Amino acid sequence: MRPSRLQRDLERELSFHLTERMDELQESGLTQAQAARVARRQFGTFSSQLERTRDMNINLWLEAIVRNLRYGVRALTNTPAFTVTVVLTLALGIGANSAVFSAIYAVLLRPLPFPDAGELVTLAQSQPTIPDPFVAPVRLEEWHRFNSTLQAITGYYSEDASETSGELPEKLKRAWVAPRFLQVLEVAPALGRNFTPEEERFGGPSAVLISYRLWQRRFGGSPAAVGRTLRVSPFSYSVVGVMPASFHFPDRDVDLWSPSPPDAPYAQSREATWFTAIGRLKRGTSLAEALTNLTAVQFNLGRQFPKTDSKKSVSIVPLKEATVGGIRRSLWLLFGSVSLLLLIACTNIAALLLSRSIARQHETSVRYSLGASRVAVTAQLFTEVLILAVAGALVGLLLAAASSQVFRTLAKDLPRVEEIGLNGSVVMYSLACAVVVTLLCGVMPIAFGTTRNLAGTLARGGRAHVLGRNPVQFTMVGIQVALAAILLVGAGLLLRSFEQLGHVSPGFDPLHVLTFHISNTWAEAGGKPAKQRTERILDGLRSVPGVEAAATAMSLPGVPSNYEIELKTTEGRAESEPKMLAQGRWVTSEYFPAMHIPILAGQWCRDELNVSTAMINRSFANLFLNGSAAVGHHLVQPANPYLPPAEIRGIVGDVREMGLDREPPPTVYWCTGAMQPGTFFLLRILGEPGSLSGTIRRKIHELEPLRSVYDLTPLTGHISDAYSENRLRTILLAFFALTAIALASIGLYGTLSYLVQLRRREVALRIALGALRVDVVRQFVDQGLRIVSWGCFVGLALAAAFARMLSSMLFGVSATDVVTLGAVVLIVLAVSFLASLAPAIRAARFEPMQALREE
Amino acid sequence: MSKKENDILQGTLTLLILKTLACGKRMHGYAINAHIHQVSAQLLRVEEGSLYPALHRMEHDGWVRAEWGKTEKNRDARFYSLTARGRKQLMQKKESWKRLTEGVARVIRYA
Repeated sequence: MRPSRLQRDLERELSFHLTERMDELQESGLTQAQAARVARRQFGTFSSQLERTRDMNINLWLEAIVRNLRYGVRALTNTPAFTVTVVLTLALGIGANSAVFSAIYAVLLRPLPFPDAGELVTLAQSQPTIPDPFVAPVRLEEWHRFNSTLQAITGYYSEDASETSGELPEKLKRAWVAPRFLQVLEVAPALGRNFTPEEERFGGPSAVLISYRLWQRRFGGSPAAVGRTLRVSPFSYSVVGVMPASFHFPDRDVDLWSPSPPDAPYAQSREATWFTAIGRLKRGTSLAEALTNLTAVQFNLGRQFPKTDSKKSVSIVPLKEATVGGIRRSLWLLFGSVSLLLLIACTNIAALLLSRSIARQHETSVRYSLGASRVAVTAQLFTEVLILAVAGALVGLLLAAASSQVFRTLAKDLPRVEEIGLNGSVVMYSLACAVVVTLLCGVMPIAFGTTRNLAGTLARGGRAHVLGRNPVQFTMVGIQVALAAILLVGAGLLLRSFEQLGHVSPGFDPLHVLTFHISNTWAEAGGKPAKQRTERILDGLRSVPGVEAAATAMSLPGVPSNYEIELKTTEGRAESEPKMLAQGRWVTSEYFPAMHIPILAGQWCRDELNVSTAMINRSFANLFLNGSAAVGHHLVQPANPYLPPAEIRGIVGDVREMGLDREPPPTVYWCTGAMQPGTFFLLRILGEPGSLSGTIRRKIHELEPLRSVYDLTPLTGHISDAYSENRLRTILLAFFALTAIALASIGLYGTLSYLVQLRRREVALRIALGALRVDVVRQFVDQGLRIVSWGCFVGLALAAAFARMLSSMLFGVSATDVVTLGAVVLIVLAVSFLASLAPAIRAARFEPMQALREE
Repeated sequence: MSKKENDILQGTLTLLILKTLACGKRMHGYAINAHIHQVSAQLLRVEEGSLYPALHRMEHDGWVRAEWGKTEKNRDARFYSLTARGRKQLMQKKESWKRLTEGVARVIRYA
């Protein structure tokens, strides 16, 4: 850097001087030692010379900087309107940019909050026709034992639990974890200890780790919590440790971690798929190596257990990718939009700066004539812009800080949303933006404003020279309009998609439906008792006044979910026919009347104990089974050969079971809705769904005192939540687009006003010579519209090119939707017309005599 | 040395340096020093502590330009030469020096 190079040069220069002096003294008779002494004494001490010169150089620099800053601040406070406008515009632009960056940083860029998080991966077993990525406990242990590329493999699954030590049962989420869970994540409990090997064995002492949140709430944060017991029905567990406050794995809602013993008798089946498996790679091992290794391990298992393992394969994905991969596109789309917005703001500011530097040309010329160098003047002007940019960035940081709150409200299910916040990197990014903005905004106006035309400028008495048609400023307006048009097209397409989503006929009636969960465990699911319990609960619910129908379902209609299975009929089909692939859903028979799904043929199914029944939808019947002749056929799942064939009792209408934005798929409904963890209870209510919440809770408490009811939400709430990412994108992009067009029209207004001001004399002269005022208005409005049309055209062309990138987020509209493009053109022209009208009318109102007299 | 005296001397030093370089040759700091001492018939001795600060200030203001070179003894030294702006400064400073000395002389002569 400069100072040290300066210092070295100085040292060289001064030591040369000293050497010459010593030579001279030696020539006049002194010895070398004496010469050195005298020379040094005459020269003062070396270091103080160095210091003085160097200090002086640094002082010169510092002086210049401080002077520029002071002068800049003074110049800016002299024009408060300009300063405030620019700072606020930049605060908006840079602030929005920093806000989106803080989200991208926390969610996409930062590694997961575990030590060496890059080594964490998720593992899944996959098999053609079975969409089941979960791993059986036995297989998990075998993978862990036989592989050579991962430090450890573990797994987890979560379910709801009722904690009953209090008055009312409290629903908690519990994660069952395989051994080595904390080892893989490399996290230690904040208080207490990890599980011991005895606790991880079947029949061993029961132990549980609790979350920080639960510790605070239930035990008041007291260290005596370790060793206390919790009753998680139907057993008691001893608390062995408390997890750190920042630990949110596998998800935010989990409050309990219990070991799932691999040697439990119910865990020995190779077909039992429970665990989401995660692992930690060995240091220095690549993903590809681990995949090869595990594929080999699975291949060996396939030879050992051909019936169950030979068709399975392994897939490995980095844990971070699995967690955040889905929203990457949305976030980058937001970042792109917000950067465009910043560009527009910069263009606006550049135009303002240009006008300002033209207005100050007199002052600049005087400075030149007083001997300032061009560098000095440029540096001073850049300092002014830098002050504005940094001020804007700092105010913008306030906006960015508030935005993490916005993200959390608009998109609560965004992965890692709790990690979004203001931190050092975001601040650095803001300041970096400020520097870039300074360069973008400042280069052209300052280059223009520091040219030396001394004679010309001073002679004109301070008037800036007029460039015929102001091509530069109008080009900038054109650029702004183009950028705003791009944003408008994007926002318009997303809005239309959202609207289309509201117009689809879902195939069922989502209004007046209340959904909820009742806590239960995997241990009690399945078999007759579960069926009877479900029936009893549903009967009890039906007796509540106001409830029209009650049913259960594994997943909600209209909410995106995918469970594709392959089916075959026992009656046989021709070999040439395509495979029957359909969505599988498990419902009780009252599901269809409750959802107002029409029955098209046959009759309603019933959940009978001895016979397995199913309903199919129209698409399935038409696609695979020749329409209504399908009733009476029997369906089997090749993947689940233990299930008896189910008789098709009837055909129902198509429902958008895979989400509102997908076409209704061929669907098979198995008429068995016995409750398991995750089962939805659906009630059709007379009146508003929310009105019966209290009654329902009481009823359930009556029927099942040990279970808790939770997540009482209207079905419409679930459906709109499912599209919350969609909604966030659309709202934000619409906001940006509106801001963009507002900025562009302000830019147009400003430029035209300036032009009108500049050409007062000419316009006044023309009016005096008989030009119609209407013509004057028309002239200026035409000028404005011409540049806007040009910008709009370029913007639409660019938008058409970029819209392809959006096509995966659109629904029901094509990327080049004519309605949207047309609407954008109309909006841009209308806004620009208004923006041009005001200055044009002002021009037409010039009183010729007054304007001419002013000269 | 009080600041005020230093100021006058500094201003004068600038003038002396500018004039020294005005003959057109490139000179290094030591040579400038020697030249002034010699031409003034040893009446003036440059305070060596102010020489280099002055030279650097003038370089910063664009009155002189400097570049590294080799002396006859093949040593590395920094050579200074006058710029156009420096020449203008020289003329201005000569003018003000003349006025100053003229004015001082008159006041002293006044009995």
